Amino acid sequence: MPTYLARRLGQSLLTVFLTLTTVFLLVRLAPGDPAAAYAPPSASSADLARIRAEFGLDDPLFTQYGIFLRDLFTGNLGTSYSFHAPAFDVVMDRMPYTVTLAVAALAVTTLVAVPLGVWMARRADTKRELGANVMTIAGQSMPDFWTGVMLLTVFAVLFPVLPASGFTTWSGLVLPTLTVAVLQLALVSRLVRREMVSALTSPYVTVARSRGVSEHALTWRYALGNSAVPLVTALGTRFAALLNGVVVVEVVFGWPGVGSLVVRALETRDYPLIQATVLVTATLAILVQLLVDLAYPLLDPRVRLGKAA
Amino acid sequence: MTPSPQSASPEHEPPSRRTLLRWGALGGAGLALGPLSACAGPTGAPGPGTLTLGLNRSLVSLDNKLNQFDAAITVQRAVRQALTRIGPRMKVQHVLADRFEMTEPTAWTVRLREGVRYSDGSPVTVEDVATALRMYAKVNGSFILGLFPELPTVEPTGERTFRLRTERPVPVLDRLMANIHITPAAANRPEELQSGLGSGPYRVVKANGGAGEYTLARNTRYWGPRPHVDTVRVRFVPEEASRVIALRSGELDVVDTLTPDSAEQLTGLPGVTVQETSGVRICQLFFNFRKPKGHPLADPRVRRALTYAIDGESLIRDVLTDSADPAEGVVPLALEGAVRTGSYTYDPAKAKSLLKSLGADDVRIKIIWESGEFAADTSVMEAVVDMLQEIGVRARLQQFQPGGDILKWRQGRGGDWDVIGNGFPGTTGQALTSLQGMYGGTAEKERTRDTYMGFVVPHIEQQLSDAAVEVDATERNKKLVAVQHTIWDTWPCLWAFAPKTLLARRDRVRDLDLLTLNSYDLSAVRLEG
Repeated sequence: MPTYLARRLGQSLLTVFLTLTTVFLLVRLAPGDPAAAYAPPSASSADLARIRAEFGLDDPLFTQYGIFLRDLFTGNLGTSYSFHAPAFDVVMDRMPYTVTLAVAALAVTTLVAVPLGVWMARRADTKRELGANVMTIAGQSMPDFWTGVMLLTVFAVLFPVLPASGFTTWSGLVLPTLTVAVLQLALVSRLVRREMVSALTSPYVTVARSRGVSEHALTWRYALGNSAVPLVTALGTRFAALLNGVVVVEVVFGWPGVGSLVVRALETRDYPLIQATVLVTATLAILVQLLVDLAYPLLDPRVRLGKAA
Repeated sequence: MTPSPQSASPEHEPPSRRTLLRWGALGGAGLALGPLSACAGPTGAPGPGTLTLGLNRSLVSLDNKLNQFDAAITVQRAVRQALTRIGPRMKVQHVLADRFEMTEPTAWTVRLREGVRYSDGSPVTVEDVATALRMYAKVNGSFILGLFPELPTVEPTGERTFRLRTERPVPVLDRLMANIHITPAAANRPEELQSGLGSGPYRVVKANGGAGEYTLARNTRYWGPRPHVDTVRVRFVPEEASRVIALRSGELDVVDTLTPDSAEQLTGLPGVTVQETSGVRICQLFFNFRKPKGHPLADPRVRRALTYAIDGESLIRDVLTDSADPAEGVVPLALEGAVRTGSYTYDPAKAKSLLKSLGADDVRIKIIWESGEFAADTSVMEAVVDMLQEIGVRARLQQFQPGGDILKWRQGRGGDWDVIGNGFPGTTGQALTSLQGMYGGTAEKERTRDTYMGFVVPHIEQQLSDAAVEVDATERNKKLVAVQHTIWDTWPCLWAFAPKTLLARRDRVRDLDLLTLNSYDLSAVRLEG
């Protein structure tokens, strides 16, 4: 286990490093000039040159990369051009909002999609299952901005019972959470359904049933327990994706998460902020994936980490 | 075999798989529900003593050294104040100063108002003013510095009095100083200040610059009249549709810098009032003045002929939904010192015949602009292309994304173009600074491509320079009138308009006096009920 953990941590560090390097190069290859985005419209060429020098943008790319690495290892991610504050702090100001929305959306998805998937598996290939399928796929097919605007129109304008934007009260979480969760429901419920159908037709279930195990125990303990690994993998992947921000939902609901922050950083060519956001979100996403991997032996005792099947 | 006491003791057994899963579930639930405990109230509507503002851009700090946009001014000035401000009808009003007058062509005598103090109780001093000017001077990329021909130096003459001295006359220094916010000298830095200590009617009690959210509370030590509202919450809501919905639902009290579409949606709704004033920003379809001699667009007669193709009235009515005024001068008429110099006339037949007589009927036009430069920008541009096609001029469009390479193109380094869609702000409220910014190009500036679209007309630059140092107000105005007519006669724009400043508020918000500069005095605002 310690060897496995060390190897995975090493891999994770390498992944983060390569991601950062790629982002470092790509943002500098994209058109646009951070100095022009930073300066007022009246700025002269001399002003722009001074700003470029101040930001170190007139150094050769290799030098900039060296400085970036040096600062990275000393924990300095630079100062955001547009926020005039340490880029890491700006990202961390937004991160709680993103984590809250991601956790809430995932919780709602799990609470609804798992029972729904089980229900669909128990009624596989019936008309009722088809109806549930249609509804979840319809939810997934609706663009998130449309779902968001519809929810806003109903619950914030026609029947103003929930806030329209921001996270100023607990109820402000409801509409963005539902919008994000609707998108995940079809994916997760169909995955649960597929795994459960497979499990419920397995020989061990037939044996257990013949030995008098109740249908409730068969479904929720035996079959669902055996479906847990792919389910947790899928939820972990969705969670990691949500940590990168859900830009459209954030914009529609005025949710101050990292997704809209990245968009702004890209528009203003705010290199330190782009790099800090990528560092934080990539680290979190990799951490989540690592935790998911570590959870496998807990979910399935046959799994031995670091050993071939 | 007897088990050892240690192995028999259940409290020393490693946690089972099931226990670990339970702990994980509990931890997850805690993580999900934890932040909720910090929140209160179910509806999000502001309380009776709280005013909530929804800004379209993130207010990253309450300092304006690097960050000044329309709506930010309202909030920044509620916390930090300047010696003067631009009030209603563009008149200069004294704020921290109670005397601010030109006593020599290159010197202004200023006296700080007695009893002005910061929210921590410390007095505003002459040293604070001197330090503020020094700090503004040290910042690279400052929006403010570009407005000053030169920054004045402070000569203290008493405990509350000083002279602001410049090398050349700056007859509008009292207006320019409205942009220099005063902070205690010891706390001032040559950078955007993140703390909010100021002398204004409000003080900052909670700030999240990253999310653009601030809570301001009434400054109990405020030296002026007591503000009417206890608490002001500032929120950043980037999407206009969300701001409109939040205003309709009562979650926001004021949303500003509205687009014409949103203003139309909100007009007439119960509980909502839309306010508008003339704007100080001019949006132009500006010709490229870097065309070589002999190019049709280098001839002002061709430029003028092309203007006849544009049906400005239709654009204002149908595309901009009456949210703008057609330009009748070279700067917005709301600016002090601006004059009417003419108007754009729609006469496609005349355009066609003039172009033919000038041998320019085969002219091709490439129009460039950056997305979001002004409201309904794409629709305006598409309509303009159609109008030009009506007179046989083929036009094509190239749109740039924000943050892209438009600057390079503006400077003529990205490629050739003929007309650019561009907005120019009138931050100081006076015509002179806008005129200098757009039409004061020199050959020297053009060498580094620092002129406005290559506009270099030496006699116009000379006229502007003369006006800028003229200390006699009547004489200065005469010079300004003359130069504006001269500029108009060069036909620098295919068409231009001045968008109105639009703001929407809930009806419970009273005494919100929207100024032409798209800001208002927060301390005067009242809440009903």
